[in-house]
Amino acid sequence: MKHAQTYQLTVNEMNEFLEQLSKKYDIYAPVRISCGGRYAKDDSIIYQPINTYQEIEFHERSTYPLKEVLTPITQTLFYFTEDEFKESKSPQKDVLIFGRACDINSIKIQDQIYLQNGGIEDYFYKRIRDKIKFILMDCPEQFEGCFCCSVGANKTDMQSLAVSDNNGSAYVGIYDSDFNNYFAKYSAVDHEIQTPLENELKVDYPVIDNLDLANKLKEHPMWKEFDARCIGCGSCTVSCSTCTCFETTDIVYTQNAHIGERRRTCSSCMVDGFDKVAGGQSFRKKTSEKYRYKILHKVYGYNARFHTGPMCVGCGRCSARCPELISYPATLNKLSQAIKEIKGGVQHD
Amino acid sequence: MVEDCNIKKLRNNCFRQSKVPGEFMLQLRVPGALIDAKWLDVIKHVCQTWGDGTFHLGMRQTLNAPRIKAKDIPAVNEYIQPYLQAVECDMCDVKMQTKDGYPYIAPRNIMACIGGIHCIKGNVYTQRLAQKLEKLIYPNPYHIKISVSGCPNDCGKGHFQDFGIIGCTKPIYTIDRCIGCGACVRKCESAATRVLSLNDKNKVEKDPCCCVGCGECVTACPTGAWRRPAKDFYKIILGGRTGKQYPRMGKMFANWLTEESVLSIMKNWPKFSEWVLGGKPIYIHGGHLIDRAGYQRFKDFMLDGVNLNPEAMIAENINWAETEYRSNIHVKPLDKHLSVK
Ligand code: SF4
Ligand code: SF4
Ligand code: SF4
Ligand code: SF4
Ligand code: SF4
Repeated sequence: MKHAQTYQLTVNEMNEFLEQLSKKYDIYAPVRISCGGRYAKDDSIIYQPINTYQEIEFHERSTYPLKEVLTPITQTLFYFTEDEFKESKSPQKDVLIFGRACDINSIKIQDQIYLQNGGIEDYFYKRIRDKIKFILMDCPEQFEGCFCCSVGANKTDMQSLAVSDNNGSAYVGIYDSDFNNYFAKYSAVDHEIQTPLENELKVDYPVIDNLDLANKLKEHPMWKEFDARCIGCGSCTVSCSTCTCFETTDIVYTQNAHIGERRRTCSSCMVDGFDKVAGGQSFRKKTSEKYRYKILHKVYGYNARFHTGPMCVGCGRCSARCPELISYPATLNKLSQAIKEIKGGVQHD
Repeated sequence: MVEDCNIKKLRNNCFRQSKVPGEFMLQLRVPGALIDAKWLDVIKHVCQTWGDGTFHLGMRQTLNAPRIKAKDIPAVNEYIQPYLQAVECDMCDVKMQTKDGYPYIAPRNIMACIGGIHCIKGNVYTQRLAQKLEKLIYPNPYHIKISVSGCPNDCGKGHFQDFGIIGCTKPIYTIDRCIGCGACVRKCESAATRVLSLNDKNKVEKDPCCCVGCGECVTACPTGAWRRPAKDFYKIILGGRTGKQYPRMGKMFANWLTEESVLSIMKNWPKFSEWVLGGKPIYIHGGHLIDRAGYQRFKDFMLDGVNLNPEAMIAENINWAETEYRSNIHVKPLDKHLSVK
């Protein structure tokens, strides 16, 4: 991590700071939604615009990922009439996002898919991405199922600031000289904001280094159990920091099919209808096939294209959200086992 | 010689007469059916010390000690005093003396399913409401059977209580979070009332009239587009009962009540019972009091002074459908029916 100057601010001072920032930036952070959870009286935590420090949820992992700031679940791209179109409003201000190490790292993966995939830059992604700076949140308490350290997503140098909540005050680390002037009136303290060094959960993330192995893994019996276990709900991919699939639809306003808007909506390879091609045929009918596709995409397909490692930052949201308690790390372990079997020549019929 | 026992007095004390003369079964109330497990030692001690060592799990979620000798009842009451203090007075804020055991049996134990503290289907904290209701109906001499269920699955069998209170939710839809996957639509169709559909814009439409308030759509939604509001809602299923004469399933008396409305309605029950029975409490089931008064007068009494929440709906009329064990109950001459003159 770059060396940072650190300051200690009270909550009131943080609020003043945020207020000053808000002149130039829209600020997003994980926010607690009372009763927003799946079950009675459970909250959810979602990335939303904030005005005050107290709105930020530091002590629990967000239910939904940071990517929603860049690629909202439903986004209007442009409005069209018969012969012209008007782009949807782009962010007016610059954007500051509070995120943990894994969350910020997930944007590297999002960047690759939206900006470096086949040499095409996604215009609507880029127009917000160019305006974003990150504020790193530390993780003094880690959460059930975090394994960022196993995939190298525990460290980042993409942050402009770092904030550590300290019960009624905050440490703020400055990594970007643009922010120096806000702190002229404070004197630096001797404190380094840390990101996780070790997780309780350690995952031996499988490596599939050739297509032949990938094809053999497709045939492995390990996927079978998911026909009975996975309900194909898509909770895992919607909450995933690194999944990027979306669907584009034209919403036509009136009887006139020439006036309307084009929308982009998050979608999921786990949900029925995702891979429907013209003619209504689906390639992956069984949930085990969908689940296998998702896992192999994260472990193999993505890396085969970009050569940058897993399409995963170990944030643990997929398992935390799965209503059927399917553990993604447990699947990865089974996959590693299967790889060993295949490399060792064990046959399955 | 048969031991001289005042069985009515002992029954009010929550000791039920046994077929064996001189023996009784203690029933400990557990309003809301959730207590600290340490109290199991109390009922265990009673069973092993004064009973025959067996324990009965009561049909209304009471903790029962069979085969207690009449002469031991004062000792048992003294021993269970801390339980009564903790559960009735401290947990439910009931105002009563605890040194001589329970003062009344008529308001039957308020049952509750485990609900929102555990159950993935639950919408509300059932125990919390049960405990608040206990304070309204206990201690008093008028019979009433209440259960609280956490969702319209009604595991508390509210359809067979005088008052079956069922926790509901009025899910809120955030259109921008919806990915049009249809999981809620399919779930509502397979598990509930089929009131959801996807429109041509791949967003959800709802026919709010017949939503049962189960929250299945919320549980099914992968994105949190559906969520439960913080405010709880309840329905009350009225007048269900079992029994030898004319058992029947309850019918909906009220829908979309807030907790506040439920409590202010239920607070009127003792007054209503007192009126029907002319101030002379006898051991008669609550449902019969509703029959004697007729639904309209019952409704007037129960809604008296109640400031209903705006969403609340109250049944204009109720047509119960009894099992006619006792034939021709519907054609019995009016003067053979017990009714309030
Ligand atoms: S696959 Fe799971 S652990 Fe990995 S980035 Fe997605 S949600 Fe996080
Ligand atoms: S793995 Fe779990 S969260 Fe993902 S689609 Fe299957 S059941 Fe849903
Ligand atoms: S009534 Fe509903 S909340 Fe209660 S136990 Fe049954 S399913 Fe669960
Ligand atoms: S609450 Fe139940 S009945 Fe109402 S829309 Fe949701 S699933 Fe359907
Ligand atoms: S389950 Fe949720 S995301 Fe899917 S259609 Fe229903 S509201 Fe939309």
